[in-house]
Amino acid sequence: MLRIVVDLNRCESYAQCVFAAPSVFWIKDGESLEYDYVPDDSLRVQVERAAAACPVQAISICWLDEQLGQQRGNHNEQ
Amino acid sequence: MTQQSLYEQVLDYANRANPYPLYAQLRRKPITRQTDGSYVVSTYREIVSLLHDPRIGSDFRKRFVRELAPAGFPTNQEPASENQAQEAEVPVPNQGSETEVIPSFIGLDPPEHDRLRRQATWPFGPPHKPGRVTDMEPQLIRLANRQIDTMKGKASIDIVEDFAYPIPVKMISELLGIPSEDQPHLHSLSEAIIEGIDLDPQESQEERKRRQEQSGQTFKKLEQYMEALIERHRKQPGSDLLSGLIIDHGPDGAMAPADIVSTASLLLIAGHETTVNLITNGMLTLLRHPEVLERLRREPNLVIRLVEELLRYEPPVQILPNRVALTDINIAGTTIQKGSPVILLLASGSRDPTRFHDPDKFDPDRRDNMHLGFGSGIHYCYGAPLARLETQIALTEIIRRLENPRLVHDPPPYRQSSTLRGPRHLIVEIDGVRD
Repeated sequence: MLRIVVDLNRCESYAQCVFAAPSVFWIKDGESLEYDYVPDDSLRVQVERAAAACPVQAISICWLDEQLGQQRGNHNEQ
Repeated sequence: MTQQSLYEQVLDYANRANPYPLYAQLRRKPITRQTDGSYVVSTYREIVSLLHDPRIGSDFRKRFVRELAPAGFPTNQEPASENQAQEAEVPVPNQGSETEVIPSFIGLDPPEHDRLRRQATWPFGPPHKPGRVTDMEPQLIRLANRQIDTMKGKASIDIVEDFAYPIPVKMISELLGIPSEDQPHLHSLSEAIIEGIDLDPQESQEERKRRQEQSGQTFKKLEQYMEALIERHRKQPGSDLLSGLIIDHGPDGAMAPADIVSTASLLLIAGHETTVNLITNGMLTLLRHPEVLERLRREPNLVIRLVEELLRYEPPVQILPNRVALTDINIAGTTIQKGSPVILLLASGSRDPTRFHDPDKFDPDRRDNMHLGFGSGIHYCYGAPLARLETQIALTEIIRRLENPRLVHDPPPYRQSSTLRGPRHLIVEIDGVRD
């Protein structure tokens, strides 16, 4: 399962993640970033594009295996 | 001829294929003053600092030259000490048509810049049209594959003419709602404009003035074309970006008609002259790193990080030549004087070993990659989301489908420009095209 963490202290609202994955990230009130931290797995490529495009590298993605209930080895930190 | 400075050597066409050793020499000093009074910035930390500094502007009309004023010449200098009283700041005279056109947001400072950029973003991206770029993906995949289909049965292809140029040009034309029969005409206009604004240290003042004059006239032609196109879109609006600029207003209200013309002209030129080089530089870099090429064929999602690494390693925009100091700025032991042109070597900053580990290595697995490929700060590339998607799809599809691609000339012949740098042709031999 896909999990997203955004360091909102780093975020400078370039909105590159919103362009890349508009159903996962959005801008509220013209300024602050909001996001779905458990997006559907079908959005994986869009989420990876969003994380790579962040100019301040504030987005981390990780994969969780629910059955094991723990983080897998392919922790994919940006 | 006097000896060239390092920066003049960067501009020299003889060094176009590999400017990177020159950047390394320039980085020994973060900021170097040129004989014409401009300042060249080559190190990552100083470039980022200046890109975020409100004392640096992008409106070139704010340039000044320091010279002795004739007696009685009215100056706009702030109150100065007695011994400076003779020195005046004289605005640089209007250099032909170039400065007569209304600048688009790329050449403006806050607050005008911010309002125009928000207005231009309203029909292009978040918050109003967040899906504009992702919605183009199916069409981009079809377009890339149609171009690759034309390579069937050929033993050699030109990546530039057959692939890297047509894709962004068709996409920007569709985005702006430009009819396909007009595209060849706009191709030649765009090329002429870019040639005119190119930097060439070896030409005389008169030559440069004449070339800028010509470029300005061509720009006027482009503006006239845009005015007519806007009229047509006003009468029959579509779902394109240009129609959006005309009829779909956000909180900032309608963009002024002259601003729509300059914005559309900017987007058209940027769409013609930048992503072509990112795609071509990408193909060239992959052909020079066959192990990465093979890996991309097996792992298509590698392209996401690979494009970021390309933006660091072989960026299509090497230099931001048009910034200006709005006041005296002390940085890295140098004082940049008010009114001076400031030239930021983005491509050098992205190869700075004090910021990037092993910077001359092309490493698509690189983690800490805050490159300067799209700049930084308020002028961060407007078209970045589209350029990224276009390049990701173009490289994935062409690597998937070409059989045994081989580089014929290394280095390939380059376009003239040192600023918007990329090959003029990239001839590749192939054994076939997969379906």
